[in-house]
Amino acid sequence: MTLLELAGVTMEFGGLTALSDVSFPVVPGDVLGLIGPNGAGKTTLFNVVTALFPPTAGEIRFAGKSIRGLKTHEIAERGIARTFQNIRLFPLMTVAENVTVGRHVKSGAGVARSVLRTKGQREEEARLLARTNELLALVGLKGANDAVAGSLPYGHQRRAEIARALASDPKLLLLDEPVAGMNENETDEIRRLIDTVRGLGITVILIEHDMSLVMKVCNRLVVLSFGRKIAEGTPEEIQNDPAVVEAYLGREEDDGFA
Amino acid sequence: MAGDWLNPYYPQVASFVFINVILGVSIYITLATGQLSLGNAGFMSIGAYTSAVLTTRYGIPMPAGIAMGAILAAAAGVVIGIPSLRLTGVYLAIATLGFGEVIRVLFVNWESLTGGAVGIAAIPQMGRALLARLRESGFEPGTVGLRDNQFIALTVFFVLLVLAALTILFFARLSGSRVGRAYSAIRMDEKAAEAAGIDTTYYKVLAFTQGAFLSGFAGALFAHTTSYISPADFTYHRAVEILVFAVFGGSEHLFGPVFGALFLTVMPEALRVISNYRYILYGILLVAMMVYRPQGVVDRALVERLSCARKTRGEAA
Repeated sequence: MTLLELAGVTMEFGGLTALSDVSFPVVPGDVLGLIGPNGAGKTTLFNVVTALFPPTAGEIRFAGKSIRGLKTHEIAERGIARTFQNIRLFPLMTVAENVTVGRHVKSGAGVARSVLRTKGQREEEARLLARTNELLALVGLKGANDAVAGSLPYGHQRRAEIARALASDPKLLLLDEPVAGMNENETDEIRRLIDTVRGLGITVILIEHDMSLVMKVCNRLVVLSFGRKIAEGTPEEIQNDPAVVEAYLGREEDDGFA
Repeated sequence: MAGDWLNPYYPQVASFVFINVILGVSIYITLATGQLSLGNAGFMSIGAYTSAVLTTRYGIPMPAGIAMGAILAAAAGVVIGIPSLRLTGVYLAIATLGFGEVIRVLFVNWESLTGGAVGIAAIPQMGRALLARLRESGFEPGTVGLRDNQFIALTVFFVLLVLAALTILFFARLSGSRVGRAYSAIRMDEKAAEAAGIDTTYYKVLAFTQGAFLSGFAGALFAHTTSYISPADFTYHRAVEILVFAVFGGSEHLFGPVFGALFLTVMPEALRVISNYRYILYGILLVAMMVYRPQGVVDRALVERLSCARKTRGEAA
């Protein structure tokens, strides 16, 4: 059983092919590492899966159903949540508001109920607050509810963004470089957080350049280079794959100055 | 005669404050999703003309006319709002400004219905209509020590006060809810909002329509307050005036445009001598605001501080 299945996904921007015939499955419980040199198409792949860009060709199936042609918010509703490489919190909102927005798909008050403040609406707000507090505690931001998101320290913003993504109770969480720019301690905290998330039964796809983190938390890796999948396997297999070594370090013969 | 203490001029000015407050909320609500609409004067004119035509020509009761005006403006909002989804920022502003002008020119030229540039006169005035009703049941303003025109002005004042207060209450509650959070999420980062599961199309059209509804509502109230409207009431100047409520007062919080409308309507009346220079003053104020406080007088931080101060005072008491 696969949770997410990519088959022949191709994404062209004019003449530039950002993704070319990429196929791989994601199995429930995976922490799948998506690695590759800069410009390999990793973030584009996230954008295609979440329908920020419609793919030029190929099929994407989530939980057994095709999600091609769905809108971004419909995909979020199906259970795919994500973070962004360049943190995209709602900067003027408080941390708690950010997380609560993340639970939009799991709540339902419309205009009438919101304005009339019906019993149902008030109970929903209370549940939202309770869930927000749980998630903030989970990511280590307990009590930061009323801090303005844009003024948080960088590492906290990352965690607030993960809390927002988790708020929709996703089946699949896409993390785009969650430890970029972080020191060793902070990286370690995120690693533990990813382990916790996995423990909750959430499947994770992780884009990351920090190889020690990738090797520690991922059970499977997919390597992209220039929009193509060049390798797939366990961390051990990938480390010894000549194609991967070549993509990262170049081929010895090619080095004309040697 | 008793009641000389009250110059009916004051409640009249206050009535326009309340109409402008509703207009301020109308632009706030579209801005709350990051859409800059300059079509509010157009929507306002739809509301005003609809209610004026229905009440003067077809004898429709005034409340029904006002409701129809607001609803028709909202319908126009849907029609304009959906194609405008493709536009953002200044392009949306230009398109909606164009829409407002088209509507105005339409009203100028549709003489058989609108009276053209002359406009529509003798629109039932809400204060007078209410007084007529009360007279039927034997009430005389004299018994409470008021002259007719004082009573009329005061009635309009209180009706509009209540309607403006209800409008603010409605949108204050909406702002603090799931819908309001979706609005501000879209305004701050549309892509991230979409990825968080918010149907941005739906909420943007909803906000645009609510703004159009409120503008139409304010327009209809305007018609039944002045009892005379013409296309000149809904020009480009009106669109900018409404925008200035939000720019000056601030658009981060509902109270921003409300404050803007209050201040900018009362100020020219209070400084009657310079009333002719009102637009010059607008310009100077705007430039000064852009330089020193681009977010407007009322921002989130100010609201936060004020509500904190109130809380601490409450605890101390």
